[in-house]
Amino acid sequence: MKFSLRNLIEKKPWTGWLLFLGTTVIVFVLGILAASIIQRRAEATLINIPLYELDEFEPRNEVWGQAYPREYEGYKRMADTSFSSKYNGSAMRDALEEDPRLVILFGGYAFARDYNQPRGHIYAITDIHNTLRTGSPDENTADMQMSSCWTCKGPDVPRMINEIGAEKFYSSPWSEMLSEVINPIGCANCHNPENMTLKVKQTPLMEAFQRQGLDVNATSVNERRSLVCAQCHVEYYFKPQGSYVTFPWDIGFSVEDMEEYYDKIEFSDWTHALSKTPMIKAQHPDYEIYKTGIHYARGVSCADCHMPYTREGATKVTDHKIQSPLNNIENSCMLCHRESKEELIANVYSNQDKVYQQKIILEDLLVKAHIETAYAIELGANEDQLKPIQKNIRSAQWRWDFTAASHGGSFHSPVESLRIISDGIQKASQARLDIARLLADLGYNKAVEMPDLSTKAKAQEYLGLDMDKLNQDKQNWLEKVLPIHLKKGEERQNKLPEPKRIR
Amino acid sequence: MKFIKKIIERFLPPKKWKVPVIILLGTFTGVALYNFYVSRAWSYLSDDPATCINCHVMTTEYATWSHSSHRERATCNDCHVPHDNIFRHYYFKASDGLRHSAIFTARTYDQSIRMLAPGNTVVQENCIRCHGELTEMVKANVSYKETLEGNGKRCWDCHREVPHGRVKSLTSTPWVEVPAPKSPVPDWLR
Repeated sequence: MKFSLRNLIEKKPWTGWLLFLGTTVIVFVLGILAASIIQRRAEATLINIPLYELDEFEPRNEVWGQAYPREYEGYKRMADTSFSSKYNGSAMRDALEEDPRLVILFGGYAFARDYNQPRGHIYAITDIHNTLRTGSPDENTADMQMSSCWTCKGPDVPRMINEIGAEKFYSSPWSEMLSEVINPIGCANCHNPENMTLKVKQTPLMEAFQRQGLDVNATSVNERRSLVCAQCHVEYYFKPQGSYVTFPWDIGFSVEDMEEYYDKIEFSDWTHALSKTPMIKAQHPDYEIYKTGIHYARGVSCADCHMPYTREGATKVTDHKIQSPLNNIENSCMLCHRESKEELIANVYSNQDKVYQQKIILEDLLVKAHIETAYAIELGANEDQLKPIQKNIRSAQWRWDFTAASHGGSFHSPVESLRIISDGIQKASQARLDIARLLADLGYNKAVEMPDLSTKAKAQEYLGLDMDKLNQDKQNWLEKVLPIHLKKGEERQNKLPEPKRIR
Repeated sequence: MKFIKKIIERFLPPKKWKVPVIILLGTFTGVALYNFYVSRAWSYLSDDPATCINCHVMTTEYATWSHSSHRERATCNDCHVPHDNIFRHYYFKASDGLRHSAIFTARTYDQSIRMLAPGNTVVQENCIRCHGELTEMVKANVSYKETLEGNGKRCWDCHREVPHGRVKSLTSTPWVEVPAPKSPVPDWLR
């Protein structure tokens, strides 16, 4: 009789049991394998659990530093202000002293008083205290600014917005938040406390995405490595009612799109003291200009160059000393580019020099346009005659500021920067052509005399700014008023619980 | 056909066992399918680098790659799997994958993971595959085997930082943000 399993089992029943047990063992082992796979998958999520439990809105950077010491060490190195590149860097540089034309361009606006190049994030709070643009508000002196001004200054802002709401926060006077916003830009502005993944926390960027029907936190890791910077390094404005911080991105990202947006709502930041033009102040459209550049097109994120991976002993850490890549060429540029350090720096400066050269031409035209328009007003020019001139001045200076205020824009996207400036030169020239005609109509057919603008002090004097008083007031305020606020803030913060150790 | 039928008949269980055997076979297949699902076995057919960190021991490799210039042009498979012909491609992928999964399950890997000879051979080939024009003038595109004979060098003997850097161990990239596999539990059950 031929062999068959059926017959075998019928003859010897124990073989049936053997088969049954064998199958059971295989299924059992498969089950153990499944358990092992699940366990190993769980391990992946366990690796990144910090030592301390942090609150979503924990504002104290040093507390985050307990949980993430390596990153915090890097962050603290931002206190180093020794690096100055040809045009920027992290040192304290007086932009008005370096280029007094700026005083005239911002005539009638707080930037004519004081305009320094930005230092590292760690100085955000100190520098907003010190700048003359925030004035010296106390019981007798009214605030110059609203709390919108604090928006990009630190992790206390998302905390406060969470507590009292964005509308209430933005519309509070600036001095009301002096004891609330006391920690400089730091950890909680960009990170998820549970595992340090990147998370957009600032309301204006979230809202700008929402208006397009997008979720800013549903983006890829690499996109977020730029978007966390775009929380602040962008163009924004304060809505006239309630000073609500808003990104003018609804039409598009280009200089023209945003101008159209502003023109549509007839927005102006201030009226120029000399030419009486309703002006737009460009903030720092770094992200928007960067988006037009070659590095963005090739997928490079902000953090790739400004916070490169660095080796620290046996680990690799994202360098949280956020700074100019020119101070760290080896870890930034040279990851992709094989040229020597000297050559790479020369390449950057060569682009920047060219943009700078054209920028100065536009600046000169704008200074003259403002002063000449002021003279036309003095000679009795009427509103209708001035309107087309002021429109061109507004437009040209918006273009100048868009490139001038975009940190590193001349490197991020030199072609776009030059395009914007050349457009501005054309508009400023048109304005001056119209002014010359207007002046001739008013019976003046000569060049308008230009004041001596060779230093910041002379330019400020020309505008009638009493700098001695402003400086003295600020000094008094820093010595007498500010410490009271800071003490109050410190006492409030000292009551916060210590972070809980969870591991 | 008849022959196959005969073989199957040999292994058919007694008639009265039919139902329990069907249930047992179902259990067996079910658990096997579950393993297929929970180990994301299908993802290994793709070239997505996220697949390589299904097992978290490769997180450092993923992180260092994603911070390097190669991230814009080359995936893991572009360098670590041969591309000269489709049979070798999948054979290598299968054998390497099986070995990796066995090592990972048994936890017999080192703190610092290093490539073995087959991996070395393939990576050397792939450096040359893309950068051949450049390496041609250095030395007629030397293979890994030739380097072992003291004839030339591996590309990364000099380009030691490319692309993973010199620091490579399981713990060398803390807090890195990498795409973690999604939870195997369906949304409606959470």
